[in-house]
Order: sequence, then structure tokens, then C-alpha cells
Amino acid sequence: MAASISGYTFSSVCYHSANSNSDHEGFLLGDVRQEETVSITDAQISAAELLQVVEIHNHDPCAQLFSFYDYAGKLNEENLNSILKDRRKNVIGWYRFRRNTQQQMSFREQIIHKQLTELLGVPDLVFLLFSFISTANSSTHALEYVLFRPSRKFNQRITLSIPNLGNTSQQEYKVSSVPNTSLNYTQVIKEHGAEFFDKDGVMKDIRTIFQVYSALQDKVQAVCGEVEESERVKEKIQEDVNKLKQQIALRKHKATEEERRLREAQNTDSHPTPEENTELSEASSLSRITFPTPSAPERPITSPNPPSYTDLLSQDDSLLSSSSPPTSAALLPRPQAVGSPGHPPPGPLGMGLGLGLGLGASSKPVATPSTPYLGNGDGSSSDSLDRQAAGQEDDEEDDDEDEDSSEYENLVSEAAHLPIASGSVLTQGRPAALGPDGDARGSQTT
Amino acid sequence: MAVSAVHLESDAFLVCMNHALSTEKEEVMGLCIGEAEPARIVHIHSVIILRRSDKRKDRVEISPEQLSAASTEAERLADMTGRPMRVVGWYHSHPHITVWPSHVDVRTQAMYQMLDQCFVGLIFSCFIEDKNTKTGRVLYTCFQSVQKGSEYERVEIPIHVVPREAIGKVCLESAVELPRILCQEEQDTYRKIHSLAHLDPVTKIHNGSVFTKNLCSQMSAVSGPLLQWLEDRLEQNKQSIVELQLEKERLLRELAAP
Repeated sequence: MAASISGYTFSSVCYHSANSNSDHEGFLLGDVRQEETVSITDAQISAAELLQVVEIHNHDPCAQLFSFYDYAGKLNEENLNSILKDRRKNVIGWYRFRRNTQQQMSFREQIIHKQLTELLGVPDLVFLLFSFISTANSSTHALEYVLFRPSRKFNQRITLSIPNLGNTSQQEYKVSSVPNTSLNYTQVIKEHGAEFFDKDGVMKDIRTIFQVYSALQDKVQAVCGEVEESERVKEKIQEDVNKLKQQIALRKHKATEEERRLREAQNTDSHPTPEENTELSEASSLSRITFPTPSAPERPITSPNPPSYTDLLSQDDSLLSSSSPPTSAALLPRPQAVGSPGHPPPGPLGMGLGLGLGLGASSKPVATPSTPYLGNGDGSSSDSLDRQAAGQEDDEEDDDEDEDSSEYENLVSEAAHLPIASGSVLTQGRPAALGPDGDARGSQTT
Repeated sequence: MAVSAVHLESDAFLVCMNHALSTEKEEVMGLCIGEAEPARIVHIHSVIILRRSDKRKDRVEISPEQLSAASTEAERLADMTGRPMRVVGWYHSHPHITVWPSHVDVRTQAMYQMLDQCFVGLIFSCFIEDKNTKTGRVLYTCFQSVQKGSEYERVEIPIHVVPREAIGKVCLESAVELPRILCQEEQDTYRKIHSLAHLDPVTKIHNGSVFTKNLCSQMSAVSGPLLQWLEDRLEQNKQSIVELQLEKERLLRELAAP
């Protein structure tokens, strides 16, 4: 089985994923066709092989997670239909983008996939997993992608190719003719070859193909103009929606304040309520809403590096709400790979050795329950609670990814560049989600 | 270091990816337009796709004419956004090879830094596949150069992609420039060949066919998919607009309620 996706669709998924501060998922639309390859071997005259080719034409991004399934992974067909509408018949797969995770389907993804396969009636539904990983200093980032075909027991991974221009070599032009003194040759090709040229000596095909190209480019420009218009309209309405949400939130905030004051006035001899905390959490939920709107180019706070994990741990967890507008990717820390200050090192496997170790060894980076970061261990945003239950299965299925560490060597310039985790980092507790024997498992010395 | 971090807008990132994934047989390149902000952060708002005059492997040099054209483009963007824009960096692709800049890249970057110490370099590595795990990979990195003795060394610069939900006009225009640039390159090559007078008709027919073939490749590999993506994006936007409109009405009703 082979699969292909256009560079534009692929880039578009990357673009939507970059805009999302948590995991991102969506559906893959396209076609599956059979290609017959005939080969002749000594054993038989013709051996026809049927190759299934999955062509991904387009993707349908989901606006948010859990839009067609719940926390238990149970599918909601109604929601699914309202998302897909008439594109349902074109669905050949779905995709998920996660940060700092393993290249494996999570338990919930497997459950969802199974249900999707049955519901959509596509036995060979594919699943495209994108995982994003960065070096500790965020100077280099890698996006890995694997296409799974979970319905099969063997050969579950399919190579995904991106058709492209390939060879634009212009060396195929001939700068000289093969020398030939035959007069007959010269005469015949001149006489009959004249068919190809117009009165100016230009090949007719050139003009024709150029006309095809021109017409196509004109159409591209025209549609581009329409897209640009629609982007501006969408931007404007999004801005309006954000402003309205702000106003409603402000009104609610005022109402709550009013209520609280009334209550306080009634409790005359009670101690002052922890005003500051309430105000802080409300103010921060308000400030969350006053983040730069998605329509304007996000202007992150002018810090060269995203705030460290430990800084954000002290904030409240209002950022966990999935209804918050996408905040700048630069503001949110990415659970960094091995060697960054926010993460405990993989233990006996050493520090700063390679990001593969970050994946294989401490497979679930620090994700304390109060973390505000929307992507954690297996990259899903609100998964942390479920992972504690499902995490057991995940851990058991974990392969030791040490052999993959060599793949990540190119993400590490020199080991010296990566900051060595300080002793204080080592004391950061691992979440219980790692399993009953969390630490031992985390070090993965298998 | 002169630059502490680079913020790349996600729609500019989209155009870079489109460009890098357009061909696996040679390196593509372009220029980054943006501004240098306080705290030595370089903010890239859009990119310009460039023609490569020298298609030899790992020879990514920008001609003065291209730099000048890019500056004009930067001025146009400055007029549109009302912010001071200029050429702040360059990007190129490394198909099938490691994302790290080569010695030539580091030297080229050092040269640009002599004109502008905030100039940054981006590299996109693509069409990488691990045959064992059937994992594909796309990487991108940001760097500057620093002199160490008589040689130059790479300095890593943190780069973050900044979300932008709507694709900007300049980025869309850059994206649709690619087929035009490819066609121009092909036409220029053909014109040079065509001007050779001593070719016999069969050779001329051959060359004309090569031109036709190459243009067909461009249309099916680039223009076609580009058009398809634009149409899909238009559909998605139309749908989003409808949904957003409904939400706006709902919010207005909620606001109007006592």
C-alpha cells in the first residue's frame, strides 16, 4: 500500500497545527485507488500485483478537540455528521498533531479509530500522526509524520510520499544537433518537420502549452483573490465575536463582583475573604480573553524564549479551558526535550544525549495536574485525567525507543549546547500517570 | 548575539513549507520580510520566493537585483501595514539532507550579517524518511554566524512560529508567485536555446517538446495542487464565516438579554 499527500495539503495541516496551542486533529479526504503493476518473472508470464494507493486530497480540520467524541473516546455520530456534512463519503482517514510524543497511536486514538472505521464504513481507514519536537533552545524543530493502517495486523505503517516537481533539470535541452551530412536526412526533416513550426519559426506546441499555463495561472490568481477576500471577512467577524465575548465576560465579571460585595456586606463579622486570589483568578480569566485576537498577528511578549515550565506552573490553571482564544505559541512552553530546564533528565541514560531519549526514556514528560500547558505527555490537551487511567496500557505498549535515538541525533548540535538539568529539576516529582512504579518505568532501562 | 529570537508568523511559515515541499531535487530559497523588534527579536511577517540563478547544489546566493526587488516588496508591505518592514533574513531548503547549514551556508550568512547584523537564516529540511519506521520528517532551524578565528561558526537562534488564524494578503500573493517564477525560469532557458541558430528541425522539435514537458510538470505538480488548495481554503473559509456569523448573532442576543 502506498499513500500520497500534496505538499499544499501537508503544509496546510502544519499551518493549522502551528496555530493551535494544544493538539490538533481533523479528517483526511481523498481517494483510494487500485494500481495494477504487471511484472514478468521467470516463474510466470505475468504476475499482476494490485497496489492500493491512498491519495489524500484535502484535510478537514476540527475546530477543537473532543468535537466528535467524549472523554471516554465514545463517538458521537450526530456531531460527526455536522462536522463532515456531505464530505463524509470522501473521508479516507483522520489525523492528529501532538507535541513531544511518541510515534504511536494512543489508546484513545485506537478506540476512536475503530469506531470511525465502523461508522464511516471504511475498512482501511488510515490515521496520520504528526508529532512535533524541538531542541531545548527552540532553535530547531522537527515535525515527524507516520501514516498508520490500524486495521491490518502487519505492515501497519505506510510510506507517505509528497509528489513534487522533482527534477526541473533543464539539462534535457539539446544545445547542438547530432552532426549529419546526409542530404536526404536534412531534406526529409525539413520538409515534414515544418508542420511543427508556425510562420515565425516558433514551435506551435510552445504557444499552445503557454496558453494553457497562462489560463491556469489566471485562474489561480482569481481564486487567490477570492480567498484573500474571504480571509479578511473571516478575520473581521472573528474580531467581532471576540469583542462580544469580551463584553459578555466583562458583564459577568461585574455581576459576580457585585454579588460578592453584597454577600460580604451581609457577613459583617467574617474575616476578609481571600480577595486577592479571587480577583487574581478572575482577572487572569479576563486577561485571558483580552489576549490579542487571533485575527491580528500575534505579538508575543518580547521575551526571547518562552516562559519556562516552572514559571507557568505557578499560574492558575485557567488556561486549561479549551474555549480560550489561541494564545501565542511563543508564550506557551513546549515540554522540552531532554536537557531543558523544565524537565527531569531520563536518569541513567544521561543528559543531553538526544531527543530520542526524551521520547523513549522519559516518555511522559513532567505534567503535573496543575500544569497550564495544554499539551502534555501524550500531547493531548485535556487528557491528563484520562491518561492516568489509560496511561497504564500505554506504558505497557511502549517499545523502548532507544534504537530511535540515532534518528534524533541530528536535532542535537553538540551535547554541550544543551543545558544540563540542574539538581533542582531532578527533584520535580513525576506524575502518578507514569504508572505505579513511576520512576522505575520512567527511566526505561529495559 | 545580535538576535535573541525569531518570531515567524504562521502564514509566512505556510509559504516557506509550500515552497520547500515543491521540489525534492534542488534547493529552493527566498527572503524573509519583517522587522526587528525591541529585545533583539526579529519578527518575520512574510516571505518572498526567489529564483535561483545558480542551481548548483548548495550554492544559494542572492543577486543584488533580487535583493533590490525584495526591498521594494518590503516597502510595499511597510505601506500596507504602516510598520517599518525590511528584508530581515533568508531561507532555503535542504531536501533529503540534514537541516544543519553547510560551511557555504554559514559563510553566506556571515556575509549578509556584515550588511545587517540582525539578518537571520532559516533552513527547511524535507523529504526525509526513515525507511525502517516509515517515518517522514520535516525540520526547520534558525541560525546566524559568528567568526571564530579565520572560520565562521553557526550560532543557533531560537525560532517560534506565531499563530495567525487568517492568511495575510502578502503571503497569499507570495504563494501564487511560485508557478509564475518556475515558468519564467523555463522560458528564459528555452529562449537561450532557441536563439542557437545551427540546430536542425529535429533538435528544435526536441527542445520544444522539453519545454512543453517541463511546463506540463509544473502545472500538474504545482499549479494544479495550488489551485486545489486555494479552492479548499475558500470553501473552509465560507463555512467558517457562516458558523462565525451564527455565533455572533447568538452572542448579540446574549448581550442584549438583561
